[in-house]
Amino acid sequence: MEHHAGPHEPQTGSHVPQPGLHDPRTGSHVPQPGLHDPRTGPDAPEPGLHDPRTGPDAPASGSHDPRTGPDAPEPGPHAPQPGSYDPQTGPHDPHGDPFLSTRFAVPAPPDTFLRRERLAGHLDGALRTPLTMVNGSAGAGKTLLVADWAAGHPELPVAWLTTDTDGQGAGMFWAHLLQALRTCGVPLPGDIASPADANRVGDALPTRLAALLGGRDRPVVLVLDEFDRVTAPEIAAQLDFLLRHSAPGLRLVLVTRTEPLLPLHRYRAAGELTEIRDAELAFTPGEAARLMEAHGLRLSPAAVRGVVERTRGWAAGLRLCALAAEEAPDPELCLKEFEADRSAVADFLLAEVLKRQDDGTQELLLRVSVLDRFGPRLANAVTGRADAEAVLARLHRGNAFVQHVGHGVYRLHPLFAEILRAHLRMRRPGLEPELHRRAAVCLRTAGALPAALGHGAAADDWEFTASALVDDLALGQFFTGPRADILDALFSRMGPRGGDGPAPELVRAAARLSRGDLAGGAVRLRRARERTARYDGPAGETGAAAVRMGCALLDALVARLSGAPGRAEDAVREAEALRDLLPAELLDRHPEFFALLLDHLGSARLWAGDFAGARDALTRAAATGPGAPATALPREDALARLALLDVLHGWPGRAERRARAALAETERSGIARPASSGVERLVLAAVAVEREDLGQARALLDTAGESHPALRDPVLEAGRALVAARLHLARGEPGAAWRAVEPGVPADAVSPWARGETALVAAAAGLAEGRPPDAAALLPEVPRDQPACVVGAARVLLAAGQPEAAVRLLDRAAVDEHAGPSVTVRAALVRARAADRAGDASAVRRLVAHAVAEAHREGLRRPLAEAGSWIRPYLTPTPRHRRPTPPRPTGSPPPPVEELSGRERDVVRRLALAMSTEEIAADLYVSVNTVKTHLKNAYRKLSVGRRSEAVRRARELGLL
Amino acid sequence: MRYEIRVEGQLSEPLIRMFPELDHVTMAGQTLLFGQVVDEAHLYGLLARCQSLGLRILELRQAPR
Repeated sequence: MEHHAGPHEPQTGSHVPQPGLHDPRTGSHVPQPGLHDPRTGPDAPEPGLHDPRTGPDAPASGSHDPRTGPDAPEPGPHAPQPGSYDPQTGPHDPHGDPFLSTRFAVPAPPDTFLRRERLAGHLDGALRTPLTMVNGSAGAGKTLLVADWAAGHPELPVAWLTTDTDGQGAGMFWAHLLQALRTCGVPLPGDIASPADANRVGDALPTRLAALLGGRDRPVVLVLDEFDRVTAPEIAAQLDFLLRHSAPGLRLVLVTRTEPLLPLHRYRAAGELTEIRDAELAFTPGEAARLMEAHGLRLSPAAVRGVVERTRGWAAGLRLCALAAEEAPDPELCLKEFEADRSAVADFLLAEVLKRQDDGTQELLLRVSVLDRFGPRLANAVTGRADAEAVLARLHRGNAFVQHVGHGVYRLHPLFAEILRAHLRMRRPGLEPELHRRAAVCLRTAGALPAALGHGAAADDWEFTASALVDDLALGQFFTGPRADILDALFSRMGPRGGDGPAPELVRAAARLSRGDLAGGAVRLRRARERTARYDGPAGETGAAAVRMGCALLDALVARLSGAPGRAEDAVREAEALRDLLPAELLDRHPEFFALLLDHLGSARLWAGDFAGARDALTRAAATGPGAPATALPREDALARLALLDVLHGWPGRAERRARAALAETERSGIARPASSGVERLVLAAVAVEREDLGQARALLDTAGESHPALRDPVLEAGRALVAARLHLARGEPGAAWRAVEPGVPADAVSPWARGETALVAAAAGLAEGRPPDAAALLPEVPRDQPACVVGAARVLLAAGQPEAAVRLLDRAAVDEHAGPSVTVRAALVRARAADRAGDASAVRRLVAHAVAEAHREGLRRPLAEAGSWIRPYLTPTPRHRRPTPPRPTGSPPPPVEELSGRERDVVRRLALAMSTEEIAADLYVSVNTVKTHLKNAYRKLSVGRRSEAVRRARELGLL
Repeated sequence: MRYEIRVEGQLSEPLIRMFPELDHVTMAGQTLLFGQVVDEAHLYGLLARCQSLGLRILELRQAPR
């Protein structure tokens, strides 16, 4: 089994190095399939040799299941272009790492595996019932039973997923599930994309997946192994949903130690559950005798019975018995001792088997117990020896302790790993952190960052761990993408001290800022800067450059959050200058870094009123790393802020289209709302106010508050206050409008537009309350270089009885040149009113007709409504009575804020037929609670609170 | 809350050390782990620890104060 050598490794539990392979030896990207990771360095064997499918002595079956063959998510052949991402083939989980294909491989039963026909026969029920559960204690033989059964059905598409880490979020779970389906050859359409947020998944994904699987004529068998690690109730609920809506296209097999949270009673009552539990998994004396024979042990029936009684038929216990007896001089005697002993079964047997190994092997087993998965190289790193490869191959052949999970990667059986760790702690007290540290170093060298971080944290070596993160330019992942929460949790164990270099301080700053703690983050960032100065390595060294780069990123964020555009410009200049000091491959691997940086810059410029500069930076941010989950948040935010620029320039139609595009992007990548930027909703609310759709505006504004804490900058705060104020004005609540903007938004630099708009709101409130002079007194606050503000000022002058001054102001500012309809319509109305005062009826008619036509085209109602009653005689009856409709370029109605799912649409349609919730449930064959859930989601998406509103809104949108 | 967890078999020293927060008594073919349990989460954690070590729980009870 020497083929296990390979350039694959070191591999670990969760990670292999990134794709986008950059070969340091050739300086080029590696197109050859099979050349796994050139970064493993000079001792990596020849490319191609490792490929277990071509290897001369590849294992016969199982671990290299043919189904994982050409589509196996190995980084090599699929390596995407740096910075780009293909949702179809991109073998990424939301962590941005290539999937470790061993998670999707059906485990290979060992040579001594005993097929038990009664269990295999029972398991055939999995083909008839939607849900199958194999539920038994650790070491009961669940996994191998299902794996062997699956191997016996080569005609079935079997998607296998071994869940890997405790406490993983819904996003990770679904990303892996999708990858498992892809691996077994189920094609997924483009609208089913991997979630970009590791912890949250929108409703759309399970719904779309259910529709896809439900349409299959041949079922997919989906096996979720070690499902006990999945503890999140929402995952169970989503799986339940998926299963109910995709039967008969999906057969789900759960392999678990604990009772899953799915409503098993319902499946059981409906005869839709195949269940194999501990009692059935237990070996009978006859089976135990056959197992012993497979190990070359011929025992008397009495001895077999004794062992079965002592172990209660527990598979792991029997296997350990066999291993211990196999190597003992007198097997029967060995088993008798075991029978007589009163120790806990696994404890005793494992100690027996362990002590029969030679010292080197014992040491290796103890030490690798801290690793999740490992190749010989990583095993050598923790043992400090060079012979792991042969030892692991031998142990795997003997089996029980060491399982080969394919591609030269091994793992310990979880039960034995746990007990071995107990022995490690006892025999080598204090060694564990050192082992984690060695593993972390080895993995870091191999470029397996996430695994290196995990071990670094376990070693409590924060200097190393933080430096690994910062040197990899991965600091941006604190803010965006699926790893954000994982990093936050990992480094929350770091505490306020620990590590005296700049990196730990920088990580602390990032953690604070990502939670919206500006002051705390700024303090730590300053400290990190001071330490950088002190610790500076030789100029140009990658590490030092990466630290400065990290500082620049956080500087830009601090600048953005505190409204300090100059500082943001400095930070971005610094980052641009450092770019050349860092390997291009590193930058390519982290598109989110510059996406965030540019988004920060654009937003800071936007605050300062540098609209052209903001547009430039935001456009670049929105185009960085297209499609990559890691850049989803900054891209969305940048796009939404471009829409905000459109609003400020008076282009509501354009703003709306852009905001919807941004929302669609978030929906596609499954970012749930609290983690998204929230600016789109603000923009849509502003557009709704312009269209006098005040209920919709209110609903949007209420939800716009749920934005990512690190993106709550002055632009967002001021924008929200101003839109709220405009909404109040439209509702005739001038007092509330003033209160909305009155507190102001704290920022280092003054924002001309925010200040001007605030003054205009105050002036409008003053006018509405009959205080034109107060309103006019506010005008000096209003900047004269921004069309929207100028028109607002002209309107105040007009109301204050100075029509000539108002027109002069408009003429001087040449408003009509670049501004959008919201501005030009108002400008025309100001001129019309002035002409009205001057008694020039034909000019009034011309101007009003122009304004009305333009307003109509954009669906604007607000400018006409706020013009006052003088306009009425000039309006032709038709447009006055007909509600101006929003533009419908394609002839189809505008979509709701988020698309309704098919099921939600079904429910809303039935609502329109005045059916009760119970009637709808009966009609759709679902529970009342399911209907309520759909209703709740539909209300949210339609931004309504009641049935009647939902029906009305759905009609408006043409959904009925 | 004080709890007693009775598991089958006598536990070896390494396994006992996996429960540093609990005291233990070894008796004929059984081990009694007992001590202060901080909260529910801790309790479930202890049960999971037993499970992952392959221990069979015979009895779990809250001890009288």
